[in-house]
Amino acid sequence: MGQLILENLSKSYGQNHVLQDITLSVKEGEFVSIVGPSGSGKSTIFQLIGGLYTPDSGTISLDGSVLNNSRGHISYMPQSPALFPWRSVLQNVELSAEIAGTKQDRTKTLELIKSAGLTGYEDAYPNELSGGMKQRVSFIRSLNAPQSIICLDEPFSALDEFTRLEMQQWLLSIWETYKKSILFITHDIDEALFLSDRIIVLSDKPAIVKKEITVPFDRPRSEELLMSDPFLILKRKIYNLLRG
Amino acid sequence: MKSSITKGWRPLLVLILLLVIWEGAARLFDIPAWLLPLPTQIAAEAFTGYSLYTPHIMSTITLSATGYLVGITVGIVVAILLFRIPFLQQAFYPLLILSQNIPVIVLAPLLVIWFGFGMLPKVIVIVLVCFFPVTIAALDGFRQTDRDMLYYLKMIGASNRQIFWKLQWPHSLPSLFSGLKIAATYSVMGAVISEWLGANKGIGVYMTLASSSFKTDRVFVAILLIMILSLTYFGIILAVEKIALRWRSQGGKVSDGSTHS
Repeated sequence: MGQLILENLSKSYGQNHVLQDITLSVKEGEFVSIVGPSGSGKSTIFQLIGGLYTPDSGTISLDGSVLNNSRGHISYMPQSPALFPWRSVLQNVELSAEIAGTKQDRTKTLELIKSAGLTGYEDAYPNELSGGMKQRVSFIRSLNAPQSIICLDEPFSALDEFTRLEMQQWLLSIWETYKKSILFITHDIDEALFLSDRIIVLSDKPAIVKKEITVPFDRPRSEELLMSDPFLILKRKIYNLLRG
Repeated sequence: MKSSITKGWRPLLVLILLLVIWEGAARLFDIPAWLLPLPTQIAAEAFTGYSLYTPHIMSTITLSATGYLVGITVGIVVAILLFRIPFLQQAFYPLLILSQNIPVIVLAPLLVIWFGFGMLPKVIVIVLVCFFPVTIAALDGFRQTDRDMLYYLKMIGASNRQIFWKLQWPHSLPSLFSGLKIAATYSVMGAVISEWLGANKGIGVYMTLASSSFKTDRVFVAILLIMILSLTYFGIILAVEKIALRWRSQGGKVSDGSTHS
């Protein structure tokens, strides 16, 4: 399970019209990215899905049930790792399940920590970790939640180029094992193309869905893809869409 | 530990220097002992008059520790109530500030009139001086939570209760501990003041007896005892803080400054 559908979603804050008629869907086990110019209301979409605000019109539904303005149905990974400094790595990973009120599965948690390459760091505190390690903890924290869909909000934008590429490859490998539905916000076209099954291109404010692009590349994907011709052609296409 | 030894000599040197100047000046100008006793005389009195003040110390410790524990409990509970229920905060915050503007020295005799000479009015005095720094420190800590962590919790659907116990409470601990340390030293002061008003035991009583009979050296011994007691309390809270906030000292490499305010 994990099918998310947004239908004709609109939202404005006073005079500020942010979203207009946004319709998109994430199928079960699908990886969908949203790209758009900065300030185009990408994060607002997440706030609506998360239930922090009510849309002015339209519906959000997950596996058939409407969840406008109700919280706790999604798992989330923010832009900054937002790890709790007083919790060890293990306790941080357990937090998402703790909030959801589900039973902790210690074996699964330790397995996730292992897949993040953090074995031996279970009892370390976040201030002992590097930026990339923190983001990995943050991601496996979102994977450890019982919810079937994860929303990621520009999770790698603060990392340097090399760490980012490494993290993207790691994210793909771990996602291919756990197969949760992912909705991914980014402003990096390379990142969106490299990771996703589909890309939703948003316009400037008020944001509308400008185009939906299906990414044709096979999985598993490797680094060489980034320099291949079909990749660059698609990249140019998206770039031009975003420009005007 | 090593750094406290290598850095500790500076304040110690200043202290010793001060005592030497005091001793020298008092001898040079031949100041009478009832006016200003010599440090050596005070030390001698502290040593020989041992049996005179020991019973008083225990009584002050019991009183201040009771007052402190009740005071910080009241302080923390008040902070949590004010924070969780905004209506209460609007209604009672000004009253809280006003309560601190009443001089303890005026309030204490009133409490004696109302509650007699027993333990109760004395504990109330200590509670009144102790709870305020704790409440203010805890409230500050609750309010200054990290926005990213708060946003994360809201996005994954945490309830207000979960947000409080999993984020705001642990986040306020460093701030709360500064309040607890201030309150610890206040509690000894509060105990001594309340003992002046009518008690048959305690450092406050020892002090009153000494000053009314011009045994100035004993007054200084009392001051010394108060300092030692305050420092001991301070040290205990510091040790508890070290254990409770283990995560702050670990690693040493402080990369995200937001949580280390």
